[in-house]
Amino acid sequence: MPSAHDTPAIQPGELLDEAAELTLEDLARICHMAPGWVSERLEAGLLQTDGPGGHWRFASATVVRARRLAQLETTFDADPHLAALTADLIEEVARLRQRLQHLEAATGNAPARG
Amino acid sequence: MEFKDYYQVLGVGKTATAEDIKKAYRKLARKYHPDVSKEADAMARMAEINEANAVLSDPEKREAYDALGRQAPHRPGQDFRPPPNWDAGFKFSDGAGAAGGPDGEFSDFFEQLFGRQARAQRPHGAHRQAPHDAAWDGAAPPSRGNDHHAKIELDLLDAYQGAERSLALRGARLDAAGRMVHEERSLQVKIPKGVREGQLIRLTGQGSPGTGGAPAGDLFLEVHFKPDARWRAIDRDVYQPVAVAPWEAELGAVIAVQTPAGALEVTVPARWKSGRKLRLKGRGIPAATPGDLYLELTVALPPAHSDAERAAYAALGAAFPRFNPRAIPGA
Repeated sequence: MPSAHDTPAIQPGELLDEAAELTLEDLARICHMAPGWVSERLEAGLLQTDGPGGHWRFASATVVRARRLAQLETTFDADPHLAALTADLIEEVARLRQRLQHLEAATGNAPARG
Repeated sequence: MEFKDYYQVLGVGKTATAEDIKKAYRKLARKYHPDVSKEADAMARMAEINEANAVLSDPEKREAYDALGRQAPHRPGQDFRPPPNWDAGFKFSDGAGAAGGPDGEFSDFFEQLFGRQARAQRPHGAHRQAPHDAAWDGAAPPSRGNDHHAKIELDLLDAYQGAERSLALRGARLDAAGRMVHEERSLQVKIPKGVREGQLIRLTGQGSPGTGGAPAGDLFLEVHFKPDARWRAIDRDVYQPVAVAPWEAELGAVIAVQTPAGALEVTVPARWKSGRKLRLKGRGIPAATPGDLYLELTVALPPAHSDAERAAYAALGAAFPRFNPRAIPGA
């Protein structure tokens, strides 16, 4: 029987949009990109920030989107605007899939396979 | 440690040109992109493809890998140990395409062959973070550990109450020689209440270990709620279908409803309207500004099994001789 000593410590999670805030440098590091890469995409409107000028505050959705943009640009040498358009479409598909899942759950219909 | 045939992973021959490798990589990256792929093992395949590309698209790493193959030929999956000084004469520099996966995770095989330098050199390119100036002297400069990313499925009730979850992670630690060693580990995580769909939970210091005294990376968990026929969340607002009897719908009633916020008594107003929603302010996902709970009312008809029940329906029909449920509004 494990002793109290063997019990793994419980790691407290921080909610990114509440307790934890990310700086522009944090976001760049998460994306494996330079801070200038983030700044350029903010200026071009391809990424959004909640904070007023000079104080960046990045929501969870922005972090996920930024990682997606970085991956698309790097993997396919994609133009940033084209990568953003692809990310828009991926996000829209995810929204529609979620809606479909809710409707299926509410109506008890099995998901269509195809 | 299993030998990995990177040429087989990308589906190219050993004489493939840089252009062939780029084409094969992009084709597979599209097929197994985690956002679009329907393959069950898409994430694992993508990691494998990224790793193969990191080696084969870098001329120096590819040359070293080819030389290793000539020195010690192996079949894919076969147990493998690199021969002593296999890398003598090679100095891997930061080359295009050596970025690896989005989370910077590589196999034991890659770590054994290129580990110290690869970590020091990642990432690369015009927009990539500036690489450290790592000469192959066996000692990487201090470098913060990579962040890791994973998805976690929770019940909506976890957002109301908070939760603890045990996660099985494939982590890494540095051995006595400073090499990254992969290991399975479990992590007990406290999920704070108030979490929303798509939100990230940060676990500080639970990513890859840093080198040279630099801090470990963080682990980010992306939250998704399991589909549940009882309720669904959109941001902090929660929607719950609730059925009412015809007489409750038309005459009004106080009904008991089991919600994610607990058992509640709710007043259904008289005079039914199709698509009626009752808003319970502040009963959505908890937060400084909590969401609202919307009860989506539907009318459930009781089945008529007995003669008395069928007579009750007949009497209802007789009481409403002018009611036409198929009448077009406004016609």
